[in-house]
Amino acid sequence: MKKAHQLVLLIMLCGMLALTGCGKGDSGKAADSGTTPGKNAATGEKGKDSDSSLSPYKITLVYPATAPKDLQLVQDEMSKYLTEKINATIELKPIEWASWDDKTNLMKISNEPFDLMFTASWFSYPKDAAKGQYLELDDLMAQYGKDIPGVLGDDFIKGSRIGGKLYALPTKKEFGQGFGFLLDKKLVDKYKFDTSGVKSLEDMEAMFKTIKENEPGITPIVSSKFTNIWEASNYDGIVANLAIPRDSKELKAVDTLEDPKFIEFYKLMHQWNQNGWFDKDVLTSDADQGMNMIKAGKAFAVAQSLKPGKDKEMSLSSGVDVIQVETAEPFTTTGDAQGAMLGISRTSKDPARAMMFLNMLYSDPKLLNMLDWGIEGKHYVKKSDNMIDFPEGVNADTQTYPNPGGWMFGNQFNSYLWANEDPNKWEEFQKFNDRAERSIALGFAFNQEPVKSEMASIANVEKEFGASLRSGAVDPEKILAKWIEKRKAAGFDKVKAEVDKQLAEWAQTK
Amino acid sequence: MRELNLKKWIGPSLIHLFFWAFTIASLIPFILVFMVSISSEDSILQNGYSLFPSHISFAAYQFLFNDFSEIAKAYGVTILSTIIGTIVSLLITALFAYPLSRPELPFRSTLSFYIFFTMLFGGGMVPWYITYVNMFDLKNTIFAMIIPNLLLSAFNVLLMRSFFASTIPESVVESATIDGAGELRIFFKIVLPLSLPIMATIGLFNTLAYWNDWYNCMLFIDKPELYNIQYLMTKTLTNIQYLLMKSNSSAQVGDLLAKMPRETVRMALAIVGIAPLLFAYPFFQKYYISGITSGAVKG
Repeated sequence: MKKAHQLVLLIMLCGMLALTGCGKGDSGKAADSGTTPGKNAATGEKGKDSDSSLSPYKITLVYPATAPKDLQLVQDEMSKYLTEKINATIELKPIEWASWDDKTNLMKISNEPFDLMFTASWFSYPKDAAKGQYLELDDLMAQYGKDIPGVLGDDFIKGSRIGGKLYALPTKKEFGQGFGFLLDKKLVDKYKFDTSGVKSLEDMEAMFKTIKENEPGITPIVSSKFTNIWEASNYDGIVANLAIPRDSKELKAVDTLEDPKFIEFYKLMHQWNQNGWFDKDVLTSDADQGMNMIKAGKAFAVAQSLKPGKDKEMSLSSGVDVIQVETAEPFTTTGDAQGAMLGISRTSKDPARAMMFLNMLYSDPKLLNMLDWGIEGKHYVKKSDNMIDFPEGVNADTQTYPNPGGWMFGNQFNSYLWANEDPNKWEEFQKFNDRAERSIALGFAFNQEPVKSEMASIANVEKEFGASLRSGAVDPEKILAKWIEKRKAAGFDKVKAEVDKQLAEWAQTK
Repeated sequence: MRELNLKKWIGPSLIHLFFWAFTIASLIPFILVFMVSISSEDSILQNGYSLFPSHISFAAYQFLFNDFSEIAKAYGVTILSTIIGTIVSLLITALFAYPLSRPELPFRSTLSFYIFFTMLFGGGMVPWYITYVNMFDLKNTIFAMIIPNLLLSAFNVLLMRSFFASTIPESVVESATIDGAGELRIFFKIVLPLSLPIMATIGLFNTLAYWNDWYNCMLFIDKPELYNIQYLMTKTLTNIQYLLMKSNSSAQVGDLLAKMPRETVRMALAIVGIAPLLFAYPFFQKYYISGITSGAVKG
């Protein structure tokens, strides 16, 4: 009797444990079927021109965005078009910005098959390239992406290389960063400020002074973001305040914290703070808040990285008229060249087809605009050849395929413009790109892996001092001395040695 | 006499005062969220967050309910996974805990250790993810929001085991066996009805865990039609935080920020997300409290 009891109890337990057991049995098969990369790639190579010989393939495109409602519709339409062209269908896989890091890291580690993924220098491109997540593209591009070099030009491609190798292709968009402020247009008109050309810091000071004196309720500058802008326009930053000065002829990193120009600038910021030109939340306020304050009629200026037509874009999206003023000529660093790119994953089962698709994103406006704007007649209507607008009864709040970000894919210059945009936007961009000054370190990307732990402690030191320095709340000389000391303790010398070493190595490959 | 009265009053009124203050402190953030959600966007820009907005506006709710299908679907997913998850989880927990509570189970201490071990050590994030995605293929299914992490909690099993061991007298089981009842019958007809308090308690734990879970949804779900309500809210807020963090690195990210939902909409979304649970809570609490007290009386 007792034996019987025990048996039943054991069986109850076994039933539970069996759940786990069964699953493990299946796993072998699933893993096997997932790893046959060679097969499809081989068939893809047969011929690019005779499309009918390509076997059907589904391309998966992973990018950060909030999934729009009509994703499926657009995906079907794109698939239809792609089937005609390269006998492929597409799966669009937008991933929320917030979960991007967690999710894509796990996708990469678990060998999940996908073809193309968005990446950027500020979005772990150097790290992933070092880990071998993306395939080398030079050969693929020579074979299946013949249109791409012509569209992008040498500088863009050069800037995208890591250690001389190309792991992802950049979007053709603004190539460089402009620097300056967005100003409240009402006040600019009222005081007849001149906003043309590049303004010196003295010119800007005169404006802020006028505002401070004549408009008691209005904060001249919101947020300490201008310091970021100023640094980016004067230095090609590497890591941990090591940077190559913009006017340097020599490929050598200097420590900005000890650079006289840098110290002078922060003395000036301290002065600005003493003058009461910043908002009271300057330690924490950001550009978003700045726009809100301008909208509420409480502020005059907020610093921004600029591109042609930035003021118009911001006026439209925020609903208050702003005007942009430049404080420096545009500057192109590796970060700008690698600002938005698409890489082909090592888990792609048919890299050749992925490259054909990439080639189309650069050369086929029809495909690109489908991805950017959706289906003609449903998500937009054409006003002229390359100008579009919402269909009747649709507005920004009710649209069902909001643009995922035209700057993420292919040749943005092929993307349609909205009726309220400047029809010459892309010509302006071209001029801007030609005007932008190239950094001598364009194409150099620092690999942080060897000094990872030092970087983490240095970042903590920066957290301690960075914000108060940027807000101009304290005397820079005092704080810089403390900062340098603590940073040294955090392992700065090792980082500097690593930077020098990598720079020297890179100079060899150039 | 009067002095005595006063003394009698001071103690309780201090306690009352403390708890009133505590309650108010807990409520104010919630009320603030609600008030912001019904403020007009302009009044927030002008005055910041305020408990007494200068202009009341329901524009945020209009915006949300303009297309309610997204929220309705997310609710559907949450409710479905909560109901299925709670019931299955409760059943499995009980089925594991009960045998462990019986002294005649062979390998009892080994099995107890087996479950206890999982409380101390885990396999790590990556193997955990690979197991569910590559082996069980749970990605983009509702099971991804039911099974991983939530289905069986070692803590709950041990809690229930102790309850069974201490409140179900062995003689009850013995007498049922003498009357000819099998193990399953004993479990479902005698043990479970006697254990309602612990069932209600662990049921509540499970319900809250399922309702509040967004992490599994974030990791395993790509399809927006399978998002649950908590993730729908979390992602809106965390998207903004993430983009703010990155806004110095890329000019485009700044543009994206400008297109994010406005302050009032974010708050309205929070209200829409918590409201149902808020109404459900008192209902649960009744069982929760009676569960605890009935357990106490019997003990």
